[in-house]
Amino acid sequence: MNFTNNMSGRFARVMKLTFLFLLVLTLQVNAVARAQQINLHETNVSMETVLNKIKAQSGYKFLFNNQMIADAGPVTVNVNGVTLAQALNACFKNQPLTYELINNTVVLKRKIIVQKTITGRVTDAAGQALPGASVYAEKDKKRVVTTDQNGAFTLQAAAGDQLIVRMIGFQQYSVLITEQSNYQVILKESSEELNEVIVTALGIKREERALGYSVSTLKTEDLTNAVSNNWTNALTGKVAGLNLIKSGGGPAGSNKIILRGENALGGNSEALIVIDGMITSSSSGRSTGTGSNAYLSADSPADFGNSLADINPDDIESVSVLKGPAATALYGSRGGNGAVIITTKSGKLNRGLGISINSNTSIETISRWPDYQYEYGQGDAGQDLYYSYLATADGASTRSTSSAWGPKFDGQSYYQYDPVTRTTSAERLPWVPYPDNHKDFFQTGMTFLNSVALDGGNDKTTARLSVTNLTNEWIIPNTGFTRNTVALSLTHKVNDKLQIASKVNYTNKYSDNLPSTGYNNQSIMYFIRGLTPNMNMDWFKDYWLPGQEGIAQNRPFSSLLDNPYLIANEMLNKSNRNNVVGNVSATYNFLKNLSLMVRTSMDLSYDARSQQRPFNTNKYVNGMYRTTNIFSQEINSDFLLRYNDEFLEKFDFSITAGGSQMQNRYQRDETRADQLLYPDVFTFANSKNALIALPYKSRLALNSLYTLGSLSYDRFLYMDVSMRNDWSSSLASPVSTDNASFFYPSVSFSAILSEKLKLPDYISYLKLRASAASVGGGTVPYTTAYAYNSTQFPGSLANPTVIPNEDLKPLRTNSVELGMEMKMFNNRLSFDVAVYNNSTFNQIFTSPIDRSTGYNSMVVNAGEVVNRGLEIAVNGTPIKTKSGLNMNFYATFSANKNKVVSLTDSASSLILASGPRGTIEARVGGGMGDIYGLGYLRSPDGKIVYSGGYPVLDQTTKYLGNSTARFKTSMGTNITYKHFNLNLLFDAQFGAKAYSLTNAVLSEEGKLKTTLPGRYNGIIGDGVVLNADGSYSPNTVVAPNIAAYYKAHFVRDNVESNVFSTDFIKFREARLDYSFGPKLVKRLGLQRATIGAYGRDLFMFTKWPAFDPEFGTLGAEGEISAGFESAQFPSTRTFGLNITIGI
Amino acid sequence: MKIKFNNLIILLVIAITLTTACKKDFKELNTDPNKSTAALPEALLTPALWDVVTKNNNRALRLTNELMQDHVSVSDGDEIHRYVVRPAESDYMWNNWYLQLTNFRDMYTRSKELNRTTHMGMALICDVFVSSLLTDTFGDVPYSEAAMGKDKIYQPKFDTQQNIYTDLFRKLEEANTLLATGTALTPEQLSYDPLYGRTVGATSATTIANWRKFGNTLYLRLLLRASARQESNAIAKIAEIVNTNSANYPVFTSNAESAVIRYSTTPPYTSAFFNYRPFDFSGDNGLTEFFINTLNNWNDPRRPLWATQASGTYTGIPSGYVRGQVPERQSAYNNSLINEPLLGNIINYPELQFMLAEAAVKGYISGDPKTYYDNGVVNAITFWGAAVPADYFSNTVLAWNAADNIDFKMEKIHLQKYYTLFFTDFQQWFEYRRTGHPNLPKGAGLQNDGKMPVRLKYPVFVQSANGANYSAAIAAFGPDDLNTKMWWNK
Repeated sequence: MNFTNNMSGRFARVMKLTFLFLLVLTLQVNAVARAQQINLHETNVSMETVLNKIKAQSGYKFLFNNQMIADAGPVTVNVNGVTLAQALNACFKNQPLTYELINNTVVLKRKIIVQKTITGRVTDAAGQALPGASVYAEKDKKRVVTTDQNGAFTLQAAAGDQLIVRMIGFQQYSVLITEQSNYQVILKESSEELNEVIVTALGIKREERALGYSVSTLKTEDLTNAVSNNWTNALTGKVAGLNLIKSGGGPAGSNKIILRGENALGGNSEALIVIDGMITSSSSGRSTGTGSNAYLSADSPADFGNSLADINPDDIESVSVLKGPAATALYGSRGGNGAVIITTKSGKLNRGLGISINSNTSIETISRWPDYQYEYGQGDAGQDLYYSYLATADGASTRSTSSAWGPKFDGQSYYQYDPVTRTTSAERLPWVPYPDNHKDFFQTGMTFLNSVALDGGNDKTTARLSVTNLTNEWIIPNTGFTRNTVALSLTHKVNDKLQIASKVNYTNKYSDNLPSTGYNNQSIMYFIRGLTPNMNMDWFKDYWLPGQEGIAQNRPFSSLLDNPYLIANEMLNKSNRNNVVGNVSATYNFLKNLSLMVRTSMDLSYDARSQQRPFNTNKYVNGMYRTTNIFSQEINSDFLLRYNDEFLEKFDFSITAGGSQMQNRYQRDETRADQLLYPDVFTFANSKNALIALPYKSRLALNSLYTLGSLSYDRFLYMDVSMRNDWSSSLASPVSTDNASFFYPSVSFSAILSEKLKLPDYISYLKLRASAASVGGGTVPYTTAYAYNSTQFPGSLANPTVIPNEDLKPLRTNSVELGMEMKMFNNRLSFDVAVYNNSTFNQIFTSPIDRSTGYNSMVVNAGEVVNRGLEIAVNGTPIKTKSGLNMNFYATFSANKNKVVSLTDSASSLILASGPRGTIEARVGGGMGDIYGLGYLRSPDGKIVYSGGYPVLDQTTKYLGNSTARFKTSMGTNITYKHFNLNLLFDAQFGAKAYSLTNAVLSEEGKLKTTLPGRYNGIIGDGVVLNADGSYSPNTVVAPNIAAYYKAHFVRDNVESNVFSTDFIKFREARLDYSFGPKLVKRLGLQRATIGAYGRDLFMFTKWPAFDPEFGTLGAEGEISAGFESAQFPSTRTFGLNITIGI
Repeated sequence: MKIKFNNLIILLVIAITLTTACKKDFKELNTDPNKSTAALPEALLTPALWDVVTKNNNRALRLTNELMQDHVSVSDGDEIHRYVVRPAESDYMWNNWYLQLTNFRDMYTRSKELNRTTHMGMALICDVFVSSLLTDTFGDVPYSEAAMGKDKIYQPKFDTQQNIYTDLFRKLEEANTLLATGTALTPEQLSYDPLYGRTVGATSATTIANWRKFGNTLYLRLLLRASARQESNAIAKIAEIVNTNSANYPVFTSNAESAVIRYSTTPPYTSAFFNYRPFDFSGDNGLTEFFINTLNNWNDPRRPLWATQASGTYTGIPSGYVRGQVPERQSAYNNSLINEPLLGNIINYPELQFMLAEAAVKGYISGDPKTYYDNGVVNAITFWGAAVPADYFSNTVLAWNAADNIDFKMEKIHLQKYYTLFFTDFQQWFEYRRTGHPNLPKGAGLQNDGKMPVRLKYPVFVQSANGANYSAAIAAFGPDDLNTKMWWNK
């Protein structure tokens, strides 16, 4: 007997005793009926139970040890009237047991474990092969194979063991290994499991449980549910702690991504953007303005878009949002504001041709308007008695004002504009409003987004190629753009050790006209606010005067307003950008656990822009033609050496060491001809004056060495330590490089408490995490040396207006983050909570100094800004039925408090942005987005002080609110039922305010319904008057002039009265998909087919007076700021249809 | 684990090599390719002077011309004509003048290094021009430590106006001496002079001589401004310049020698208003009754150059009107002024004649005031390219009358001077504050107790950025409001 041969020492002795004991038992049993029929009807019972029943029915004795029985799995057996041998065979099928009949005794034995070859194929629910899945037997975890391109695998495994198949994005699959040697495995997709392995800094893939910091991950579907021209719009509401500031600057609208609050007193607080390891934020990603501000500047900014927006969302595999410095410590100085890591798709083997076609068609319509009044027509203050187009029998002309303080539409008739004769009508015409005149100018925007992706490969090579075309016509006539993108991804295994890969993404973005933004001549919205209710949009459509095409525009009313059709059709801002982002990498596996990756990547962009203005425009009487060529290039070369191993029994560790070298070049060449000789000839040869050349170039280099050590214990405790040293050229001066080098560390911990603690049953996973990091940072080039500026005067120079800092030191961000992740009720509900404290100090910024120093400002190392916040993400699956009805929901909440702790010694305030009136200032003790400006003079008890019937404007600036939301929240759901899939997303923000110039000017001009009360029967303002003795008494004076009354209230200087809450709730995304059934699809020769209808920004609930509280204003150098709305474009809602076909 | 000593050395060497290699070329990389580390003195002149004069024009339109009733805004909220000057109005000039002072003082330093006496003199005159505007606008201001941020003086002390004037006079003396034997200017250097060197036919000698005259004429302007203060010794100096030592103090002798930045429509040599829409320039600005009626009384030939007609007549509107009672704009600025070359006036020959007329009336100098007055009137008109009508002086309201009392004479001189200083920075206002002439009507809507502001407040930002010196300054100078008189008109 050899059944104890596997046992050793002490166990063997116990076994022997047991055996003796059993033997004695056996001898006491009589042989009853050898040939007895045995009946068994058992489901999932223990082996012991079954054996007892057999014993009872057969009278046979059983000889076994307890351990053997315990190792056996549950037994399900259904036999009727079979022999003992048959019954035993049935019971031991798929069990690690066998038996021997010795006389009346059944002696149980372990099956000798025989490794056999099993094969199989892994597919998803749709039957698509899944290459790269991990396959292993549970008791033999060291032997792991991955499926090949056909999803096939071959594994040596023992029957009776569990076959485990795992793959990212799918639920784990397990099945008992039986005699069967071929297994068809179908993996179910799983959203929860996706989080398990995520892309972290430097593209290192990590298990989610090992991370001591918060990471949010999104996948393709999250980004393509309701596509917009800029895919980053889809990040809204899906990542707690992410704040998107939108320029709202037209079809190519750029977005600024802020994670966990703004912190930079100088420079920007934008997150780092990394595409396939290529950092793009400071290169082609940077937007460049036209040098003019949004409000009545020399020129108007146009949003030419940045390259981040140009990625086709369907090419994106995943997006990891690393929010805190601990997560981005390996990105070093550039990652201090968090990072958005985009991984584009690679090739996969597909059944079929591997072609997928994706087609989107969407329309964009205006979703919200200011509350215009259509009761009173054109007329300045006091011009309410009559209307007259030019001087007529009725009186002097009242046609040129943009105000609507004129006569009421009361059925009367006046001499008005005659569109046929283009002058005063011969007869008096009925005085009527055109209530749709604002809307009439705009059109329905159309976007067509079509892409084809080819993908496939074999076990050595995979490839994916996608081609995307986007054609957009925006809501303003003659604006829009075309974008073509080609993306290629290749991987090739040269041999077992060497793998090479390359990703290249080429984009051409072309526009004949992108609209000028802001409040100024040349901008559409400047004209739109100038419309009075009695103007008909049709009268503007012929924008040249007959016979004077190209020379004199048709301006029936105010000559201060350029004709909007002229603006749209002749004042063109063109752009043609070619952008290549790509990388080439090679990975060599020296050993199984030692690998080296070397990579070089480049982001190269060339943007040829031009602007042209015809003759006879307000800004350019003699026309204008300008070109700007922007070349930007960033080359990053890096290497990463990774080693992992385990020591002792339960400790795993890995060490990653790397280095990178970044070189950035930027060159902008602008040429201007600001007066032309002949109309309609837009060439430099046609310039009236010498051309103005405005060249600019810059170079920046950053060299780095870094290392990351990870240590884990028993898949329970994890620790990461990173160290990085940067050498930034921006901190070198022409005489010294002493400050160029700086070092910083980070550490993070994660504990999976659910592995070790006895937790209530409903908690399936509980993780705590903590991290601390310090990140250093450089600055923009050329702030360390004194040099003369060039001027527009030939041969002339000027002293700089900023005093450089030769001893500039790196800035620092220290951060601490704590977090918890909990999954409950079988992963049906999960929470992720993070709290953080980030302090950015030793900041590098230009601090204004008293101009009597002879300079505007100086570059300083000073100031501290602290951001504290809370982020909560919730996921749940409240409904999951066998009938196929599934409902998931997710919600996010984030709150951030921002505080300016210190500035420089002499400054207590730093102006961060200026609006049309008022400023956004960082004041010590305040927050970064604080709005300051003039407001009402108020009595001690807060009442508005009136004088002569009009409110009085206080001459001291006051704090009027903060432009950054105190908290943001979102809620979404995904419901699937059979072939249908419904997605809904709502999001909201609360606690922020902003100034509305649109409200100010429309109120000043009497165009909002809010300016109706008191017309023309007088109004007494609600407030007090200051008496001669210094006391206050209620105001009883009727405002002498109603126009002056509303102007006094809403004059744009009165920042207070024009500041409104930007709280909103938006119905952000909706999508309904129908996936065609496999049978139908196959009949059509397809792999899959889905049709979906979607909507974006469908409704909003807000008290904001203009269009959209979620606006941004484009500044001089392409910066986007919130706080001061300066004639924003209308907000739009998008409806679209999507068809996805796989062949 | 043992690390062998040799290995340690190797590691150390690698570390040092890496550290050095990682900073290689950084010095060159972070040297700004868009800028220049060196500047010749003449290269600094044009942009700085252009900036000062165009910005002066800009504020003349916004502040001087409103306060001094050239025009009045018909936008009810613009209250400067009511003597409401908000604190924010101070920033523009304070901020810009000091920036350019840096360039003028740097030009002096560079010239001195190269021993270029002519450029030293030019730099001094420009320094005095800007510094005098600063002190005459604000009172005590940072001066001796001003424009030294590069030398790490971030909070300069304030100097008293008296000390500033003393030093301005010293600088003008120095300039006069330097330019007397000024280093010759090359043709290229001539082309860098926006005042005289670029004019047709200019030579090194004429340019240097004209600069010297500019300096001395400016000297007279400032002496006359300080003449009420005995300790300034200004009256004696005026007499020396005009009478006793005139050969050593040449001043303007013709309109052509006037210091004027002549604007063109060719960028960058354009006027302050080159990019203005006509509306921005004149849309809300109606010429006042005071401004128009005087010209009407004189039947002045400059009137059509400056003003438009309203319904066929030159009609002004009242300044200082009551809130809510906005008059309708009548005559406005002629929009041709937008690109008018003569708006770039710094100081001109007719102004000199009116200064001399006043000095003669007050007995500071010898000579007949009538000669100076008449010469001033004629040249003020011809300066604008207009012809003096034959019967101009037969108009008794403007003809010189030796029998008038001194106040009447001062009014005549200053009424003429007022038009001569049209759009010339803040000079109309400075002269009104000094003399009380011309006699401006007072509207019913005036604020500030109907008192003409006599200075601008210091920019609010100075209180935080240079707090200690600010406090010390107001302790000595007086309260920081619109009504604190300065040294020369105390």
